[in-house]
Formats: sequence, structure tokens, C-alpha cells
Amino acid sequence: MIALAGIESCKTLAEFLVNLIPGGVVFGLVEKDTFVWVKASDSFAMDIFTVGNKLNDDTTTMQAIHEKKVLTQNIPRTVYGKRVSIVSIPVIDDNGDTVGAFSIAFPKLHPVAAAFNDFAPILAEMFHEGAFLYMSDLTKFAYTQPSRKFDMPTITVGKDLSEADVAYRVIKSKQPIIEDVDASRVGVPLNVANYPLVEDGDIVATIGIVTPKKTAGTLREMSENLENSLTGIAAAIEELSASAMEIHSNEEDLNSDIKEIINVSEKINEVSDFIKEIADETKMLGLNAAIEAARAGDAGRGFGVVAEEIRKLSAQSKSTVPKIKQLTDTIKQKVEEASEKSNRSLDASQGQAAASEEITASIEEITSMSGELNTIAKTL
Amino acid sequence: MGSVQLVVFKLGEEEYGIEIGHTQEIIRIPKQITIIPDMPSYVEGVFDLRGKVVPIIDLKMRFGFTHTERSTDSRLLVLDLENSLIGIIVDDVSEVIKIEDETIEKLSSELLSLGGNRIQGIARIDDRLILLLDGLKFKTEVLTNSNE
Repeated sequence: MIALAGIESCKTLAEFLVNLIPGGVVFGLVEKDTFVWVKASDSFAMDIFTVGNKLNDDTTTMQAIHEKKVLTQNIPRTVYGKRVSIVSIPVIDDNGDTVGAFSIAFPKLHPVAAAFNDFAPILAEMFHEGAFLYMSDLTKFAYTQPSRKFDMPTITVGKDLSEADVAYRVIKSKQPIIEDVDASRVGVPLNVANYPLVEDGDIVATIGIVTPKKTAGTLREMSENLENSLTGIAAAIEELSASAMEIHSNEEDLNSDIKEIINVSEKINEVSDFIKEIADETKMLGLNAAIEAARAGDAGRGFGVVAEEIRKLSAQSKSTVPKIKQLTDTIKQKVEEASEKSNRSLDASQGQAAASEEITASIEEITSMSGELNTIAKTL
Repeated sequence: MGSVQLVVFKLGEEEYGIEIGHTQEIIRIPKQITIIPDMPSYVEGVFDLRGKVVPIIDLKMRFGFTHTERSTDSRLLVLDLENSLIGIIVDDVSEVIKIEDETIEKLSSELLSLGGNRIQGIARIDDRLILLLDGLKFKTEVLTNSNE
């Protein structure tokens, strides 16, 4: 308690202290129930601390006067709009009677809030895509800190919390919330983390950090595109390998057709051998007929002519044989060339089938990698 | 001027001709040949030609050819030499032709004596030279043991 005689000293001291206390302070002297002297700091003042203002009985100061003892009370924001602590010290005259009180009021701040302006500017720059830090009390945004790279211009100090705000939900649920916000909200995907700040078991504020996730978003988008492209490629390769298989089976058919052609030309040769045999036989017949005709002398002359004709015919028939042979040889040669080419195609198509299988395997590997990438991108 | 009809056959690359009057027929080389023991190697054996036993002479061997292999064109030319039948194996019987006497060149007697008389002359037809066998001399010669 302060003696009335020392009150002037207190006032003098208060004059010095008022702007030295971080967060600000307001001093006031009450006589009976009315402020007679008030000294407020530059950064903090209270309307109730006004000279001439008369106090109600339920105020801390009046209670201290009545109870004749020093009282400290934390006043919730519902009373003065901000949380304050008020210390009231009764003032006593020489007779020991309470004549008034010396009251000191200062804003009540969570230590995090008190330090916000110190750490937030530094912290905000520590994220490579920038960050936006903010604090809210139970109803309003109280502090904001943009970074050079990132700002949330819609969030301003003094703006009321709305149901959509993460801070609002944290206050309601009393639980921290970390969530992703897609690009539809502010143009880039965001991650919002918000924690409740508790004092004496009650939530008094929240602190939040908003980080843009442009890189992660881009990465996710790219990995999704990659996955889609890979699916397309895989389908194309499947078609490719199917057509390689078709080529393969066509070439096999072609090969067996070619063998058939070779068989047929062998058969032609057989037929032509038969023609040769007949021609030989006919020739002999003709020669024998000629001999016979000669032996018959004049009587055989006509027969000799016939014999000569027969020999000519046989010679003609026989002359077709090497021609046929030549033709079938050409057929065989061409067909063998075709067969060789088709075998090469067969090899090539086998190679193609093998290569497309290898590609398919690689694509599968890449697909699974891109799936992993996608998963990673989602957790960033 | 007379003319003569020849049966032309081949021995190797050379063409030979024999008067048609000395020939009887041309047949394939018979499958069944009966070998007669103790005969000169050019006598292949004998075979049955419609009831007559006919000897077979490998003419190339008789004439001293070094290559005596046969082909599908090889034939047996059956000769009728003064009523004895002799079959000679030839490479091919190509034709029966009529040639004029003047196309035949006689060989000189010196050359004839070297060659054992079997060639009586050479007929020239275009670019072809056909060696003419003397049928009768041929018979004696063929049926004389050359080893003697």
C-alpha cells in the first residue's frame, strides 16, 4: 500500500517508467472513485483510464479500495476489447484510511505474440518459396508478416476471423490444424499450419504459417502428366508389339508358302523329266523306224519320212525340257532369295518384338517411378 | 553320184557314223547282261534280244577311251554285220542322215594304217566332222582279241 504522502513520488516514477515498459502501460490515480491523474504510454492506453472518469464498484480498483489490499486481476478481452492485467494498490492517509488507489494497467500478451515482430520477419524469409506468418486472437487477425516472396494481401490486421479460416477452426477444435489448400483459393497451392497458443489452460491466440507449394504443385502436376504420357506410350508400344507379332506370323506363313512353291517347282521338274523320257523313247522309236525304213529299201521311203518327222517331234519335245528346267531353276532361285529376305524380316520382327518388350519393361519401371514421384509430390 | 544313209552316234564328243545297212536297231542298254568269263574287258557280256544271243561291246573301251562312264543317253546300237548281231554301247544315237558320197573324205593310207583300219573316212556336214566306221572291218577288228 502506498502512503498518501508518497503519492507524488510514485507519480514522478511513473512518468519515467511509462515508455520504458515493453508493450506499454498506463498508470492512474483514483481518489475515492474518480481518476484524478492518468499517465499512459505511447503504445498503450485505456479509455477507462481517463481523468474524471468515475469507477464502478465492480472494478479491480474499487475492490482494492474496499478490501484495503493490493489486487491483481486479469481482465478478459470481453471487458475492454483487449486482454489486460490491472494492479491496484490502495492509497492510505495518515489515519490508515483508504482514500483512493494507484492503478497500473498493462496489456496482457502471450510471449509468442510479444516476440512476433522479432522472429516473424526472419522466419518468413527462411522458406525458399517464402511464407506468410500471422497471429490471431480469438476473433481477429492480430499480426501479419509477409515475406519478400509471398504475401496474403487478403489477410490484414484487424480483419475478423471467418468460419472458413483455419484459425477459427483451431480455436473451435482446440487442436492444431495442418492442411493443404488447392490453387483455386489464391492461385497457388498452399500449406496452412495453425497452432493454438494456450495460457492458463485457455486458448488465447493462434499462430499460423502459410507456405506456398508452387514447386510441389508443379511437381505433382508434372508427375501426373508423366504418368498419363507413360500410359499412352505403353499403349502405343503394346500396339507396336502386337503388329510385330503379326509381321512375325505373316512371315512364317510366307516362309511356308515359299517352301510350297519350291515343292511345286520340284514337281514341275519331275513332270519335265517324264517329258524327257518320252522324248527319248520317241527319238529311239523314230531312229528305229528310220533304220527299218532304210532296210525296206524303196518300199520304206514313205515310212522313212514319217520316221524323220517323229524324230523331229521328239527333238522339239526334248528341247523344252532344259527350258522348263531353266524356268524352274529361276523360280527356285527367286523363291530362295525371297525366303532369305523373309527370314531376315522374320529375324528383324523378332528383334522388334524383343525390343518392344524391353521398352515395355523400361516403361513399367518408369511408370512405377513416376507413381512414387507422385506420392512424394503429394506429401511435400 | 551316189549317196549313203548313216546312223550317227556319239562316243564322247566325237560323232561317228555307220551305214544304215549295217544297223538293225537301237535299244536301251539291257538291264540283264550275262557276263562270259575270260573275255577281254571291252566285252560286257551277252544278252537276249528276242530269242537271239547278242554280244555287247563297250565301244569306248575297245577304242581306248580313258573315260568310259555312261549317261542316261547311253544306248545299245545293235549292228547286223553279215548276219551276225553285235551290240555296241554308244553315248548317244543322234540321228539318221543321208549324205552325198562327195562329202566323204578318205583318210590317207598312212593314217589308216596307224589307226587299225576301222575308220574308212570322214564325212563333213557343215561344221561337223563325222568319223565313218567301216562295218565289215569293224566286225573283224572287234571280234579279234586285241590282247593278241
